Amino acid sequence: MSTIISYGIALPHFRIEDSILNPKGKKGVMKAVCYTDEDIITLAYEATKDIPKGTIDGIFFATSTPVFQNRYHASYLADLLNLNQGILALDFTAGSRSGTDALLLAHEFIDTGKYNNILVVAADVVFPETGKELTAPFGHGVCALLLSNEKGNTEITTARSFSSALAEEFTYKLNDIQYDPRFSRDAGFKNNVSFSLKNIVKNPKTIDAVILNSLYARMAGGIFAKEGFEESQFAKDTLTSKIGNTGSAHALLLLINELENGKKNILLADYTNGTNYFEIKSTGAPKKKLLQEQLSSFDLINSYQDYLLIKKAGDFKSSQYSTKEMFSSEMMAEREKDTLLYLKGFKCEECGTIYYLKSTRCKKCKCDKFSIVQLNKTGTVYTLTNEHYFPASFPPIAMLVIDLDGGGRITVQQTDTMFPDKNNITIGSKVKLVLRKMIENDAKPNYFWKAISNE
Amino acid sequence: MSKQADIAIIGIGVTRFGELFHQSYDDLVRDAAMQAVADSGVSMDDIGAAWLSTAFPEIGVFKGRSGMDLSEPLSLYNIPVTRVSNFCASGADAIRNAVNSLRAGECDVALALGVEKLRDRQPQDSIVKMMVEYGHPFLQKGFTAAGTFAVYANRMIKEFGVTREDISTVSVKNHYHGSLNEKAFYRKPCSLEEVMKSQMVANPLTVLDSCPTTDGAACVIMVRAEDVDKKKHKPIYIKGLGLSVSTGWDLPFFDPNHDFLSFEATRQAAKTAYKQAGITNPIDEIDLVEVHDCFSIVELLTYEDLGLCKQGEAKELIRGKETQLGGKIPVNVSGGLLSCGHPVGATGIRMVVEVANHLRGNAGERQVKNAKRGLTHNIGGPGAIASVIILEN
Repeated sequence: MSTIISYGIALPHFRIEDSILNPKGKKGVMKAVCYTDEDIITLAYEATKDIPKGTIDGIFFATSTPVFQNRYHASYLADLLNLNQGILALDFTAGSRSGTDALLLAHEFIDTGKYNNILVVAADVVFPETGKELTAPFGHGVCALLLSNEKGNTEITTARSFSSALAEEFTYKLNDIQYDPRFSRDAGFKNNVSFSLKNIVKNPKTIDAVILNSLYARMAGGIFAKEGFEESQFAKDTLTSKIGNTGSAHALLLLINELENGKKNILLADYTNGTNYFEIKSTGAPKKKLLQEQLSSFDLINSYQDYLLIKKAGDFKSSQYSTKEMFSSEMMAEREKDTLLYLKGFKCEECGTIYYLKSTRCKKCKCDKFSIVQLNKTGTVYTLTNEHYFPASFPPIAMLVIDLDGGGRITVQQTDTMFPDKNNITIGSKVKLVLRKMIENDAKPNYFWKAISNE
Repeated sequence: MSKQADIAIIGIGVTRFGELFHQSYDDLVRDAAMQAVADSGVSMDDIGAAWLSTAFPEIGVFKGRSGMDLSEPLSLYNIPVTRVSNFCASGADAIRNAVNSLRAGECDVALALGVEKLRDRQPQDSIVKMMVEYGHPFLQKGFTAAGTFAVYANRMIKEFGVTREDISTVSVKNHYHGSLNEKAFYRKPCSLEEVMKSQMVANPLTVLDSCPTTDGAACVIMVRAEDVDKKKHKPIYIKGLGLSVSTGWDLPFFDPNHDFLSFEATRQAAKTAYKQAGITNPIDEIDLVEVHDCFSIVELLTYEDLGLCKQGEAKELIRGKETQLGGKIPVNVSGGLLSCGHPVGATGIRMVVEVANHLRGNAGERQVKNAKRGLTHNIGGPGAIASVIILEN
């Protein structure tokens, strides 16, 4: 047994309607889309930053759209979160079922008693080929769950996985391979789900929400009816029309959605090339409904051209200037991590002035003794400007000089500034720092703080 | 500090500033130096030591990395030649080093020459590229030079009730002055509306609030005052010389003590120079000023830092046209950086040549009447380094 003692969600702020993606698309049906400087790493950080980290002894990162090769996303995220060095950090990158794969393994690790708290993160960010936006499932989002052996309101009582040899569509050495869909659905999906369902559900009537995460979910009614389920028990996927299909994060997001809806006995089934099953018991909805909050707060992208800019062809452009080059150094990022990433400041022991950057003597009182302090990620704009000539996907870039709450001053870019008219940040505005990509063109990702409104 | 020997400028030379596609870096060096040598009446072989000021060899033509790039075009060999680099204060610092060498007795005739060749590259390859592609990957990333001064403008607007019109009026004034300067890059006056409606660079600063970076060179030849031959020379005396590095590249934007209303470096440099020159009330005791108007806001702010008015009152000086030619204290009658253009290493020396011309009564149409004492000011980096020089006839 394991419990979900905490969770986090990160959906990008922007959504695009199907009707903008394609004239045949529906109005009101939306996909969540990353801003130009977001990716699975920044979203994963956003989803996990508020999860209590004291006793985490493992981190699993699931994605079907990895951004690194030969580098573990889980290790990288563990470092961003400043978790203990050398903790168990594994990546799950097989496909869109990897989110529940990670959950299943985390549950087993805890159940065996070897691990106490494992952070499971599922993240997917992918842009389909131009013209395939409505047929290829996509939607950007991250779900993070903290699994624990402590007692909690939400318990995973059963977790099992049933493999299937048949994947509907896969690539072999970069070649796309697809079975006849009728064959793969019957011999693959239907066969696997009905076989596994027989072996897992003892008492269907006690379940008040059945979640089936599969592109073929609609064809599964008969299979579930055979095992004694009724249609009313099915939890409809209400997320796909709001944020799209978020790949490996989707099953976990559907689970959170039902928990936030107050469902108490949940059967979660996640099918891709085999099925993962979970039975989850909850004593009631969480007080703070993080997913619902993020589902209801967004701005719409209002043209396909803006969507293309967000997708980025590769160049880093302004109206005046474009470049593929921008200096980035792994060595500097590592050496200056305490300052750059963890926001450790320096407090003058004499006059108490707090500096973001290290200095030998206090500029104010010339004292040479400093203690290290943790700076806050919220603050007030002291002064600012809009840079029209610095290359950016959506120029101008707003540069904000920010006095952080509790001390320290930092100068960073403002982000999510797709609509300059809506960027009503002025001197005195409250802002908060978010982790984003500094080099947007993906040639060499490096992550740093940018600011968004906090009012 | 003991009383220091007076130093006299006996030779001045300046090229046209602008897009000098027909002149190379070496041509510019020769042009400015030969003018100064001819003006001084000394021969090239009398020069005992020289200083070369080029701020950005790496975004120019990769020349000016050392003193040899002065020696070669002038065939000026077998003497000490040093390259000086201190951002926009490089030229003034070359003069300071020459002055100190004369005072120390290292040489009897010293040459300081500033030169920058930026237009052999596309504009996109120059200073913007430096800010975008080089430098720290995170700290200040997103700023161009304009932005680092625009944050001062917005704070001035908030604190002192400065308006966009006040800021842009500086540009209108300097472009009018520039129309009278045959060596300026832009020789066309512009209206307030044109300045305010031109392309925004970093709000509230527009293209016409920003100086162009150009090609150009300027040169001065100096001796100790005791060596001046009044029959031969028209000497201009260096009465005060202050240079201060008061912050760094990153600190201004990360220092909670900084108010973005003043440049400490300018105040320190002015304090030193005023003390040496015995100036206590600058607005009454100085006849003309060349201020580092790389962006129009910097001129406004510098009125206050130089003590031409109290803090917060710069807007009154510009509104009352006090700093225009014919006003109480004309500022940038050359047209400033806004009109002349800004070949970074040359600008400080160009200003000294400008003031010297006024003090000699040789400034033509834009001559400040009865000019006896003038001031030049440069500010470099993000307001980090400033120089102030006081000149008298």
